[in-house]
Amino acid sequence: MSLQETSLPAPGRDLRLPFGLALAALAASAPLLLGSYALHAVIISLIFLLPAHGLNLLVGYTGLLSLAQAAFFGVGAYVSALMAVHWGTPFYLNLPAAGLVAGALALPLAIPALRLRATSFVMCTLGFVIIGQAIAKNWISVTRGDMGLSAIPKPHFAIGPASFTVNGTTEFYYLALAVAALATAIVWMIVTSPAGRNMVAIRENETLAESVGIPTWHYKLLVFMVSAAFAGVGGSVYAHYLTVVSPLTFQMSYSTLMLIIVLGGGPGTISGVILGSLLFVGLSEALRIAPELRMIAYGFCLLALVFWFPKGFTPLIERFWTAIGGRS
Amino acid sequence: MLFQLSEQIVNGLVTGSVYAIVAVGMTMIFGVLRAINFAHGEYYMLGTFGAWVAIEYFDLPYPLSVAIGVIATALIAMVVGQLVMRRMVGMPAEAGVLATLGLALILQNTVILVFGGGYKFFNGGYIEPVTVFGISLAEQRLLIIVICALVFVGLELMVTHSRIGKAMRAVSQNIECCAVVGIEVRKVVVATFVLGAALAALSGVLTAPVNVSVYGGMGELITFKTLPIIIMGGLGNVRGTFFAAMILGIAESLVATYVGLQFRDTVGFATLMLVLMWRPHGLFSAQARY
Repeated sequence: MSLQETSLPAPGRDLRLPFGLALAALAASAPLLLGSYALHAVIISLIFLLPAHGLNLLVGYTGLLSLAQAAFFGVGAYVSALMAVHWGTPFYLNLPAAGLVAGALALPLAIPALRLRATSFVMCTLGFVIIGQAIAKNWISVTRGDMGLSAIPKPHFAIGPASFTVNGTTEFYYLALAVAALATAIVWMIVTSPAGRNMVAIRENETLAESVGIPTWHYKLLVFMVSAAFAGVGGSVYAHYLTVVSPLTFQMSYSTLMLIIVLGGGPGTISGVILGSLLFVGLSEALRIAPELRMIAYGFCLLALVFWFPKGFTPLIERFWTAIGGRS
Repeated sequence: MLFQLSEQIVNGLVTGSVYAIVAVGMTMIFGVLRAINFAHGEYYMLGTFGAWVAIEYFDLPYPLSVAIGVIATALIAMVVGQLVMRRMVGMPAEAGVLATLGLALILQNTVILVFGGGYKFFNGGYIEPVTVFGISLAEQRLLIIVICALVFVGLELMVTHSRIGKAMRAVSQNIECCAVVGIEVRKVVVATFVLGAALAALSGVLTAPVNVSVYGGMGELITFKTLPIIIMGGLGNVRGTFFAAMILGIAESLVATYVGLQFRDTVGFATLMLVLMWRPHGLFSAQARY
C-alpha cells in the first residue's frame, strides 16, 4: 500500500482522523447508549480482545497457529486472584504481575513446543490448556480445586488520601476500555516497528527470513512470550471483573474463541481483531437467550466464515472504507 | 498385586480398543484431508444416540440398534461430507480447524436441542461377566476387543486389496499426483470421511453399555482423547495409531488405579508432550501411511 501511495496521488481523502474521533466518541458514550446487559457484553469482549491481540501477533503476524491462549489467560486470572486474596495487593500491581508471570511461564513451555511443526505444535499448545486445568483442579491447597477462588476485590485505586473503587458496570467499562486501548496501542507499535516486519517475514517464508539474517527462533520465542503476557493481562482483568476464578478459566473453548476472533476478524490486522471480538464475543453474549440455538447459529457462522470469508471480515471493512472515499 | 496389575492392563486394552476404533477414522481423515477433525468425537456421540433412540423409542434389540446407530451416523456423515468436507480439500490448516469446530457445535447442540441436555440411561448390551484366563470382565468388554481386532484386520485388507482402499492410500500420499492420474480426490475424501465417522459411531455404540450414561456433550471428551493418540501414532499412520491407542488405554487405566482417578483425563496430553519432547514427529513415522 505504501508503494502505491508514493507512486500515485492518493485518490481519497484522509478520513482517518475524523473516523477515529467518531469511534472514540462512540466508545466513550457507550454506557449512555447501551443497557447494562449489553454493556456487560461489551466489557467481556474488551477483556477477550487482550488475549486475541496476543494471538494475532502469533497467528496473524508470525504465522504460528496456537491454542495455548486460554492456558495463559487462566494463569493470569489465578495469579491475579491469588495475589489479591492472599496478599491484598491492588489491581494495578496484579495486572502487570499477571502479564509478567504468564509471559515468563511461556518461555519454558515454548522451547520444546516451538521445535514442533504444524499439527504437532497445535496439539502441544492445546495440551497446555488441558494440563493447566488439571493443575487448577488438583492443586487444592493453593487453588482450592473446583471450588475456585472467590471474593476477589474489585479494582481499587488510592492516590494519597483520594481513593476510588471500580464498582459498577459503567466504571468497569471505562477501565476495560482503557486497558484495551493501551494494549491496542502496544500491538500497533510492535507491528509497525522493524520487529513487526521481521515477524511478517517469518510468516511468509521462514527459511528465507532466516537466510537474510533474522533470528527466527528468538523471534518466535519472544512473540510467544509476548502473546502469553497479553493473555495473562486479559485473565487478570477477567478475574477482577467477575470476582471469581475456577478451573473452568482454563477452557479449550476459550482458546478456540480467541482463535475465532482472530481468524474471523482478520488475521494480521488490528481493526479486524477489534471487530472480531465485538462480533464474536459481544454479540454471542448478547444473544444468550437460547443457548443451544445460539451455539448452532455460531457453528453455521464459522462454516460461512471458512467458505465465504476466508480472510475474515476485514475485507468488508476495507470495502466500506473505500466506499466512503477513505484511503488506507 | 500382580493379579490387579494384569486386570488393569486388560481394562486398559478395552479402553485402548475404544480409542483405537475412533482414532483410526480420524487419522485416515487427516491422511486424505490434512485437517484435524475437531468434530470427530461428535460422530461417536451420534452413533450412541442413534442406538439409544432405537432402543428407547422403538424397543429394538441391541445388535439391531448398533446397526441403526452406525448407519444413521454414516448418512449424516455423507451429508456433512458432501456439503463441507469435500470443499476443504487444499484449504489451509486454520480453515479446517474453524470448519470442524463449527460442525462440532452444530452437531452437539442439535442433539441437545432435540433430546435435552441431561444424562440418559443406555439400556442394552451384554453386561454378564465372563472369566478369561482367570480375569473376569463383562462380555461387552470382550466384544469390544474382538471387534477392534476385526476392524483393524478389515482395514488392513481394504487398503491393500480394494480399489477404494488403494485410492485412499494414494490420496494420503500425494493429492496432486492422484488428480493427475484421474483419481477423483473429492470422492475419496468423502468416502474416507464417511468410513471414519461410521467407525467412530461403532465405537460409541459398543462403549455405551459399559459407560451406561449417554449425553449430548460426550463427544468432546472423546475428541480430546483421540487428538494425542493420532499425533503419537504419526498422523495418517493406521498401525501407529493402533499401538498409540493401546499404550494410552493402558497408561490411563494404570494412572487411574495407582495415581488417582482425577488425573486420568490428563494422561493423554501429558504423555503426548513427553513423547514430543524426544520424538518431535510422534512415536511412529508419519511418512509410513497405513
